[in-house]
Amino acid sequence: MGMNRREFVGGLGTAALAMVQPARLRASAPTAPVALARCKSYGPEFLAAAEKMFDQLGGIGRIVKGKTVTIKVNLTGGENTRLDYLPMGRACWSHPRTVGAVIHLLDKAGARRIRVVEGAWVWPAPLEEFMYKAGWDPNLLLGAAPRVELVNTNMPYKGAKPYTRFTVPRTGHLFPAYDLSTAYAESDVLVSMAKLKEHATAGVTLSIKNLFGITPTTIYGNKVPLDEPAPVPYGGRQEIGHNGSRQPPRSSPPEKDPTTPRQAGYRIPRIIADLSAAITPGLEIIEGIETIAGSELPRPGTTVAVSPGILLAGTNPVSTDAVAMAVMGFDPMAERGTAPFETCDNTLRLAEDLGVGTRDLSRIEVVGAAIKDVAFKFRDYGGPRQFQRPAGRRG
Amino acid sequence: MGLNLENAVPMRWPSGPLEIARRQKAEGFPPRVRQALERWHEPAALEILEDTPIDCLVFTWAAGLPADQEQWRTAAPLVEAARRRNLAVVGWVEDAADRGQALAAAKTAGLAAVAIHGFKGTADLPVVAWSQREDVPWDSGAPAVAIGGNVWPGVNITQGGGDANAGPTNLPWLDSNGWYIQMARARLRAPLWVAFDPPGKSAVFSAQSYANAIADSEVAGGRWLISLDDDFRSSLAEGAAPALQSWKRIAAAARFFRDHAAWKSYRSLGLVGVISDFTGPNFDLSGELLNLMARRDLLFRVIWKSQAAAQPFTGLKALLYADAAAPDSALRRKIAEFVEQGGLLVAGPEWGAQGKPAPPDFPTQFDVRSLGKGRLAVGREALSDPYQVAVDTQFLLSHRYDLVKIFNAPSSGCTRFTVPAPGGKALLQCVSYADGGRGGGGLRTIWIRDQFAKARLWSIGNDPVSVGAEPSEEYTGTDYHLPASAPRSYLALEFEV
Repeated sequence: MGMNRREFVGGLGTAALAMVQPARLRASAPTAPVALARCKSYGPEFLAAAEKMFDQLGGIGRIVKGKTVTIKVNLTGGENTRLDYLPMGRACWSHPRTVGAVIHLLDKAGARRIRVVEGAWVWPAPLEEFMYKAGWDPNLLLGAAPRVELVNTNMPYKGAKPYTRFTVPRTGHLFPAYDLSTAYAESDVLVSMAKLKEHATAGVTLSIKNLFGITPTTIYGNKVPLDEPAPVPYGGRQEIGHNGSRQPPRSSPPEKDPTTPRQAGYRIPRIIADLSAAITPGLEIIEGIETIAGSELPRPGTTVAVSPGILLAGTNPVSTDAVAMAVMGFDPMAERGTAPFETCDNTLRLAEDLGVGTRDLSRIEVVGAAIKDVAFKFRDYGGPRQFQRPAGRRG
Repeated sequence: MGLNLENAVPMRWPSGPLEIARRQKAEGFPPRVRQALERWHEPAALEILEDTPIDCLVFTWAAGLPADQEQWRTAAPLVEAARRRNLAVVGWVEDAADRGQALAAAKTAGLAAVAIHGFKGTADLPVVAWSQREDVPWDSGAPAVAIGGNVWPGVNITQGGGDANAGPTNLPWLDSNGWYIQMARARLRAPLWVAFDPPGKSAVFSAQSYANAIADSEVAGGRWLISLDDDFRSSLAEGAAPALQSWKRIAAAARFFRDHAAWKSYRSLGLVGVISDFTGPNFDLSGELLNLMARRDLLFRVIWKSQAAAQPFTGLKALLYADAAAPDSALRRKIAEFVEQGGLLVAGPEWGAQGKPAPPDFPTQFDVRSLGKGRLAVGREALSDPYQVAVDTQFLLSHRYDLVKIFNAPSSGCTRFTVPAPGGKALLQCVSYADGGRGGGGLRTIWIRDQFAKARLWSIGNDPVSVGAEPSEEYTGTDYHLPASAPRSYLALEFEV
């Protein structure tokens, strides 16, 4: 299959550029230990395992004590989906009991205020309502500690300043800055609670890809006005995020270079790498107790439910995701064209280029279980992968 | 006159010289279609009704054309054959017809009744009241009321530029008559025949599409006046095997609902009572509100304003007063009591400000105030956007009170949750409008808030099967797991306490 110039520039071309990246830049990328544990259930076992992992990381009190902590959970897709009979928490979302347990542990570690946030697709109402509609009981979260709030970061944040601009260090890959809910600006620590799973467009979706949902669909969603944010979301993130068929409203920074490939496999990794640099999580928790193999959402013929029984936690999102990739049977150093990045760029490399962290396993200390002891090869499960096809091949 | 059409299964029976004359006036009248109309005028055509539940032929009778007389003269053998098969024959009389002559001819021919458009008055024969949505004779004593102006139920792929995901809800846009039928059934005493034809001349309609048309009416409490498209009728007239096979499926759907006619008497379990006179400009808003609420699975109960004073608001969490003019003082007092006891009222600005400000945590067009134990949500401006009113009502009410959740069924709608008067049971009916199983094909789980001892799944053409249930893992209520083999286009879950 041939590759045109645009695909070369967007894919292997940038991979080639990465090869000439100064070795010292990579070598200087920050690293942090990653805790790895086995966990087979969502009950007390999770609470104990998470607490032990946090201890292995040196305790989370040093990170969250006296702080406003924001937990970005993963509630991707619509609110009324299941994988067969499986609730989404046991398939491709954060599980509500893990969120409740983490809230409890953050409170125990001294967090001053805890917010659970998500930009739930096109949901135009409070996050509680999304949860009720999806079959969650938000009181499980709200009651897990005092001072817990739920915020739908798709909506204009209450108060005079609904959005705050977050600049991407080193000018970013795709956008120089992003306008996000002011809830993120009020946060001292961002916790990315992700699911261990693959992604049709980005290869894998872990703690960094989880950040894609922080972009408000009132600004980065389909059909938003040309000049200013929409009052409520009108659509998903395809136009501005995946396809680049238009720019955000003029009130927000446009792309640096609108001539770059209009291809999701080029764009999404760059957007999420940008976001990880603009608002870097201070704590990552990746849950793979039960999850799906094959994709990020239920896709007939591809997706199957799997039970790896794995947990990861870390304090550097690139390093945490690198270990997670290794656990999944992938090489975090893989470049475009190699699994799981068959049709996209490696987000971890792009984040590494922005100085977020290292993906070099030789520089990452893994504590708790060893990777080889818990490894779960995702590509051994599920049907043929349905990758995001490069732009221009649809005829 | 003693004609009982309470559970009749009617079918439009276009045939004969009058139908041919009518069609000849329109553009494009293929010889094949003409032949089918000729064949359907012969007694032998009734053979296709063998082993079907259809027991009422609504026969083209008068249209104010010269061919009327010929129709009456040539109809005798067909009418006689129908009578021998215990079929009630109803003559379809259009506006332009000479009603006196048509009635006299019908009586002479031995028709059981006539359906006369816009008829008011008395006649020697039973008259099925036939009208459009705008001029329904609500209080007619007719043996049945036929209402036209309906849509062909299904996913509307033309709304919004050829994209099925065109609705303001980001859900596929569905055409359904269910909301209207629920509204009409709340007022009518007579059986409701829902009149609509397959749209277009070139489209090919599958048996599933016809079954959906039947289910859409039945679930809401009406009965489709079955009407076949020209191509299908022609194929049936020619005895084509695939058409006969499809016909069996359509008949099975009609039989299923005839056999479960008691379900229509069940009372709606709604969370929101929609109060309106459903007339004129008010109907533009309140009707569309019902449509959009049905699409969002926001269970509602229709409350005609003229009946509101006599109806208890028991079981409702919210009232939506949709009309532009304020209610009379008695109704206003009753609504205010509902709010003070803990209910939510959503209304336009004519209601006025009362209570203390209690703004919600999301942008809305309503000023929300607390009053007693409840809340008032009063529009800052006149209610005009039914979509936004439906959305706001749902969020002001909150999904925490949902009675039902249906997963993986983006093309479902017209969901009804009903209970019989004696209690002891509940019934959830759901239609998936995606032809060929797409859209509704993934439906495997239904969540119900209430607890029931057992549940049976009914589907067309199948024996009922027990359905496994498990307590919801993450919330209150019960998950009902549908077998993978169960049809998805229409299903009914019957619960027993």
